[in-house]
Amino acid sequence: MSDLPLKGLRVIDLSRVFAMPYAAAFLADLGAEVIKIEGCRFLGADTRLGGPFGGPWPDDVPGELHWERNGVFHVLNRGKRSVTLDLNQTAGVEALRKLLATSDVVIENFTPRVMRKFGLDYPNLRNIRSDIIMVSNTGYGHTGPFSNYGAMAAALEPTHGSGAFIGYEGGAPNKISNSYTDFLASWTALYSVMAALLYRARTGRGLWIDLAMYQVGAAFMGEGLLDYAFNGRVQRRMGNRHEAYAPHNSYPCRGKDRWVTIAVTDEHEWKALCSVIGSPELANDPRFVDAPARVEKRDTLDAIVAQWTSSLDHYAAAHTLQAAGVPAGPVLDARDVFTDPHLVARKFFDHVQHPPETGVGRRPQLGRPWRFSAFKVPTPAAGPRLGEANDYVFKEVLGLSETEVAAMAEQEIIGSAPVGTRVPNPVPAEEQLRLGRLAALDRNYRKRLGIE
Amino acid sequence: MLSDIRVLDLGQDVSGPFCARLLADQGADVIKIEPCDGDPARRTGPFAGDEPHPEKSIRFLYLNTNKRSVTLDISRPAGRSLLHSLARWADVLVENFEPRLRSSLGLDDQSLMQVNPGLVVTSISSFGSSGPYSDWKATDLVTSAISGLMYHSGDADKEPLRSALSQSLYVAGINGASATLVALYHRLMNGNVGGRVDVSVAECMTAHLVQASASYAYTGGLRGRRPAHGAPLEELMPCQDGHAVVSAQGSRPFSDVADLLGIEELKGPAFATAEGRIMQGEALEQLILQGLARWKKNDLFHAANKKGLVFGMAQGPDDLYRCPHLSERQFFERVHHPVAGDAEYPCELVRLSEESFRTRRAAPLLGEHNSEVYQRVVGLSEDEIEQLRNSAVI
Repeated sequence: MSDLPLKGLRVIDLSRVFAMPYAAAFLADLGAEVIKIEGCRFLGADTRLGGPFGGPWPDDVPGELHWERNGVFHVLNRGKRSVTLDLNQTAGVEALRKLLATSDVVIENFTPRVMRKFGLDYPNLRNIRSDIIMVSNTGYGHTGPFSNYGAMAAALEPTHGSGAFIGYEGGAPNKISNSYTDFLASWTALYSVMAALLYRARTGRGLWIDLAMYQVGAAFMGEGLLDYAFNGRVQRRMGNRHEAYAPHNSYPCRGKDRWVTIAVTDEHEWKALCSVIGSPELANDPRFVDAPARVEKRDTLDAIVAQWTSSLDHYAAAHTLQAAGVPAGPVLDARDVFTDPHLVARKFFDHVQHPPETGVGRRPQLGRPWRFSAFKVPTPAAGPRLGEANDYVFKEVLGLSETEVAAMAEQEIIGSAPVGTRVPNPVPAEEQLRLGRLAALDRNYRKRLGIE
Repeated sequence: MLSDIRVLDLGQDVSGPFCARLLADQGADVIKIEPCDGDPARRTGPFAGDEPHPEKSIRFLYLNTNKRSVTLDISRPAGRSLLHSLARWADVLVENFEPRLRSSLGLDDQSLMQVNPGLVVTSISSFGSSGPYSDWKATDLVTSAISGLMYHSGDADKEPLRSALSQSLYVAGINGASATLVALYHRLMNGNVGGRVDVSVAECMTAHLVQASASYAYTGGLRGRRPAHGAPLEELMPCQDGHAVVSAQGSRPFSDVADLLGIEELKGPAFATAEGRIMQGEALEQLILQGLARWKKNDLFHAANKKGLVFGMAQGPDDLYRCPHLSERQFFERVHHPVAGDAEYPCELVRLSEESFRTRRAAPLLGEHNSEVYQRVVGLSEDEIEQLRNSAVI
């Protein structure tokens, strides 16, 4: 096995919250040295402090080192180094400028004016490092009438059109949720940076990537947009059903909120389904003779299929159907995925050991959806402690003296603990459960995950 | 950016073709290899003008711009041998067949690495090349379900809701493109070693579970779908002419939301903190509904965002085609297709400071570039090509 592909590259991660930190984490997985720039006073904008629900911290206890214990922060920032810099002080910006001169890629998601204010927008950055690759991620991009609007995925997702297509049959617009557009931006950043690295290797030139989440989201709705452009039509919301196939839906299974999905796409699968559910005569029933007839009678069909699934375990139903050649799968929740035999066999989750002083212990963490035969990605290091790389970066990389670094600490340009941030006050899990913000609370989760 | 990269696209339907299109968009020379009856996407509706026709499938038109098309029956020996000639020319081969079909199609590691050890072979499949589900059959509905993402979409009092427009296959497509570029960069740095890239559609969506997975792995708390009542923020809520998203995120205090919506009660201490707005969700919902009833979505969206509040609105294709912002950024581009006609396509994914994106050609007609590719790339004579045509290999 050879070296990781991005070994020897330095990436500066100035980004906040979700989308871009996640993109930079994949670059770290692939071997780049990713230095996350944090501010001791800036933390409120990042995931170290948790969202409105608080955390997640181990067992909902923030603890004294709460900013080192956030599970979302850990996933998004694994394998990175952490440096603190107060960018409201000129000396902080100056140190950043020096660091950027040694770097290959910089990723930021400030509103457009911020990097300009620092004198570190792309035209200026090129003078510091001519072949740098810069990703600027904003909600709407650096040009156009919405360019100064803020962004969060929950507001952007319907704005870029998903609600026109997603929703229950006859119901209101709905959402994929779970910060969907953030992840589209993460994947787009990864794709753009990799293309730019190949371009730089060939031509010696860097470039600037203006990544607008609104635009990326709309591109992912492309088929629906183009249907409108050609036919003036807006496809209707169909829930889990399909305009050309039936049965095609989620069906209730045994247990609370358990479901199996079934998608019959041809005659062979239809006949197999009829046999599996113990009604082979349906295959010859004139009401269901072909796909258009089945689509028309989908209510009747769905009721028949649901009767069969409702007494079965969601995994068992899917296994039986797949054994007969029918596309089917259980609807897994976040508890199921950790123990799912397929993901376990593929070693999808990284098992990450955190520093003892944080009290986090060992936790399973999302891995990568791709594997390479030419090299293997090792388990990444845990998300970094705040400012843990200050000495490395300021002394070894930038060559500052002990005295100079001490002076920066004295002036609070660098540090290793948050300054002036609120102590988290989470909504208790039992309250969240009562309010429907949690679907369930499994206090035996450690045992199930094997991290007791 | 990728004008020196040569790609064979054996992808079908969405994930493989989107992966290859993303490479083509950045300048790669992409030859799409279709079976003699075409990529199955050509038979998938909706169609331009609602007329079923192999050159009018909207999915096909969208996912295959900037490519050339040849036909080739790779299940026959003569076809296999041509495929291997093309594989010698290429840097990348993209495919999304079911993993168990690979050997029978000559797409196994042994066959491909023998003809070109530097070839990057990107294989996208529903569940990846290994593991107990690798031979399971799936559609976008099934991969979304098994990924764990679907459980979290929709309303808590109804069934989990799938996304629309084949999202899991699109997300797998862009992951396939990124992973291909990673493998190419690795090849550049480590001496012409290609190899297999294994992309799982379901895992691409599982990778979206950042909050839900961390919540379970750190606390045992299981995140679910949107509760039926009491969660009015960062969610779609009805307004005068559609739906809007009211958000308390961002740097502004919640009293700014109260001012904008014109609801004085929202300034009460119960709603001043994030925790309070969760605990008092039902009361908050009633007040926000009252406020939204006075607003049209577009007016509210702009008024809020201009005040630094991060609001959203439910837009449809009609709104997006009229959007002045997308228009100024030239997101839509008119593409001419000789059979399907002209239309404004959603085009540029990101804006670059140089090497700017343009659609160089519309989706190809089936086998449009047979002569060109088999003559110039493979070096066949016109007679040889004619023979292949007669024996229905191409």
